[in-house]
Amino acid sequence: MSDPALGLLMLCLIVVVIMMGFATAFTLMGLGILFGFIAFYVPGQAWADNKVFALMVQRTYGAMTNDVLISIPLFVLMGYVMERGALVDKMFYSIQLAFRRVPAALAVATLVVCTFWGIASGLVGAVVVLMGVIAMNPMLRAGYDVKLAAGVITAGGTLGILIPPSVMIIVYAAVAGQSVVKLYAAAMFPGFLLALLYLVYIIGWAMLNPRIAPRLPEEETRVPVPDWVERLQAAYSRNVLVGLVKALVAPARASGLDADGKPLGYRGILYNFGVALVPFVLAVVVFAGTWWYVVIHKKSIEAPEVAGLQPLGGAAVQAQAADETTSTAFYIWFAALAALTLVAVVRYYWRMDAARFTVLKLLSASVMPLGILTAVVLAVILFGITTATESAAVGAAGAFLLAFQARTLDWKRTKEAVFLTAKTTAMVCWLFVGSALFSAVFAILGGQGLVERWALSLDLTPLQFMILSQAIIFILGWPLEWTEIIIIFVPIFLPLLKHYNIDPILWGCLVFVNLQAAFLSPPVAMSAYYLKGVSPPHVTLNQIFGGMMPYMLIVILCMVIMYLWPGMTLWLPNYLYGG
Amino acid sequence: MNDMTVERFLHTIDGISTWVGKAAAWLIIALMAVVCLEVFKRYLLNAPTAWIFDLNNMLYGSLFMLCGAYALAQNAHVRGDFLYSSMRPRTQALLDLVLYFVFFFPGIAALLYAGWEYAGDSWRIGEHSNVTADGPPVYHFKTVIPVAGALVLLQGFAEVVRCIVCLKSGVWPSRLKDVSEIDVVEEQLALSEHVDDETRQAAIARAAHIEEAARQRGMGAGDNKI
Repeated sequence: MSDPALGLLMLCLIVVVIMMGFATAFTLMGLGILFGFIAFYVPGQAWADNKVFALMVQRTYGAMTNDVLISIPLFVLMGYVMERGALVDKMFYSIQLAFRRVPAALAVATLVVCTFWGIASGLVGAVVVLMGVIAMNPMLRAGYDVKLAAGVITAGGTLGILIPPSVMIIVYAAVAGQSVVKLYAAAMFPGFLLALLYLVYIIGWAMLNPRIAPRLPEEETRVPVPDWVERLQAAYSRNVLVGLVKALVAPARASGLDADGKPLGYRGILYNFGVALVPFVLAVVVFAGTWWYVVIHKKSIEAPEVAGLQPLGGAAVQAQAADETTSTAFYIWFAALAALTLVAVVRYYWRMDAARFTVLKLLSASVMPLGILTAVVLAVILFGITTATESAAVGAAGAFLLAFQARTLDWKRTKEAVFLTAKTTAMVCWLFVGSALFSAVFAILGGQGLVERWALSLDLTPLQFMILSQAIIFILGWPLEWTEIIIIFVPIFLPLLKHYNIDPILWGCLVFVNLQAAFLSPPVAMSAYYLKGVSPPHVTLNQIFGGMMPYMLIVILCMVIMYLWPGMTLWLPNYLYGG
Repeated sequence: MNDMTVERFLHTIDGISTWVGKAAAWLIIALMAVVCLEVFKRYLLNAPTAWIFDLNNMLYGSLFMLCGAYALAQNAHVRGDFLYSSMRPRTQALLDLVLYFVFFFPGIAALLYAGWEYAGDSWRIGEHSNVTADGPPVYHFKTVIPVAGALVLLQGFAEVVRCIVCLKSGVWPSRLKDVSEIDVVEEQLALSEHVDDETRQAAIARAAHIEEAARQRGMGAGDNKI
């Protein structure tokens, strides 16, 4: 048998053996060593001198010193600690109260919690089970359509593997030799676009057909306003913010107030005033941060570069001109957005009654710490201030701090998070050890070349190639886990991208979104079975799958949008790191 | 051998793999601390450390290599379980047994052999890292490869014995109890304030079973698979 034919045999065998259910890492290693032995076989040489052994150990050492993969255990640890530290139940409750006037409030809250949770952790099963317990029953009790309830939980639950910082993106970056930060920047918009499309779909459907998501009865949406807030209002002003300010200036009338049985005191008023200022502070920090990055930080980086270009003459002038035009556009956008936000914040404070204040307090206790930590970790990575590994380590340390502060992390949970991290890391990285050997042998045998020549001989247009490759990955997504797809099968397509002029970053993002659809497709989607396990008996699998179908179509719509406007995906990485 | 001795033998080997894996798992905390310190030193004190890159690699590389046997002992290595989960335990055991001999043992034995030579060479020449001019020694780090290979090989023997026991009795022998991802459901619900007690108890009781049922995708033969 010729060598390339052996390579193809290897590829077929790996598919067959994976389907037989043997641990993939060891299958890859075994196939690699067997076929590698044949590839390097020299008649007359002692078998122990075969070069495949050197290849194997070199590849293993390569995986052990891979500076991209090193951030995997850190991000995984961050996810597991957050998962044990943040309280989903409180998050769901406060978000649901915040959205109580929106149609299908419970479904919207479910989606928001899933998105948040997805940012924090990248695990599908646990999210679906948890949301199945916390959100499914309230939705069914409120008379929501079973399909709506089931669909939003399963679709929301799979978002976690897409939205950065996700481990899947690091694995793809290691496989494709792309930068992790660029891929994170690129996956931001598609991830949130998908969440937004889901949201539009839910709200739109509930507005067209209010019967599927009846409004909650009044007593369930009533905000549990603490007694002292009402008395503060009575003593000072209807507006809680104004009331708090007046209480700070003239604390005499507030002396009788007590919260949770203890007197409120001046410090209590100060603390609550701080909480009331949270939306304003957040808005200021976001805008100031953007201003600092674009106007101060980027200028200071660009300045020496422009100076370096001076001897080239025309080039420097052009660069300067381009810089100024982007700046003008930026100033206009910045001013418009800042004005809009200011109006929104002022309107919010204008109408700040007791209910709003209470919801704000609940939100800032349950959602904000997690939100701020992830935003900081992402911002530090995206703005190129630290590397992905450093941000991951700081993020993990931050997650520990948050969890200790919230008193949700004890010694047992810490141990659990550490051991789970070890198991997940071992799983992913041993897969890398196996696939590094496998793909090297596959290339040596000429299998990779054969596949490439065959694909080129098909003479596809880039669009056809795009559709074909995504369709293959979609079908592989039914029986396989994302780890196997990205580590074993994606590398086969990667060398072809250059021929069709497809950006590997755009293609990678399409793969990430694509896998969402694969994980929602009947009859293999695990999340459906997870949800079935916690739902009341009258919810059937068919109803759950029926609920998931529209989300699959939305994912495909999202992929079409991403393909038609590649700028949406590529704008942020290009803006932050240049083309 | 009677069943008790076999089970004790299996749990001894599982125990070795798990102990080493759990010990190595703490390297992640060391890695986190080292990187955080380095962030502090580099960005705030402007005093970067030259050998930190090597140290990070060593912590991370040792972590995942030494946890390989632990993951195997806990059945945590990813497998294409779409068809596998719905097979009867005897069929699963037969398939596994054959594939352990065809793929697992050649691959891991090669890793042990090649790693032994590789680390041996490194010890002989007293190899140092070439990332920086005066890098730290790497021979102990390279020794992790044959050690991890030996541990995984040992655990592999235990897995083969498991397959044989299952072929005889039709039931998978037990594994050591360990934390799993689905446990988070119980922990979250234990602290919840807005879920009623009955639902909470029911969900906690069913959580482990749900994971199993989902893996079998409704086609499972029963609940006797571990």
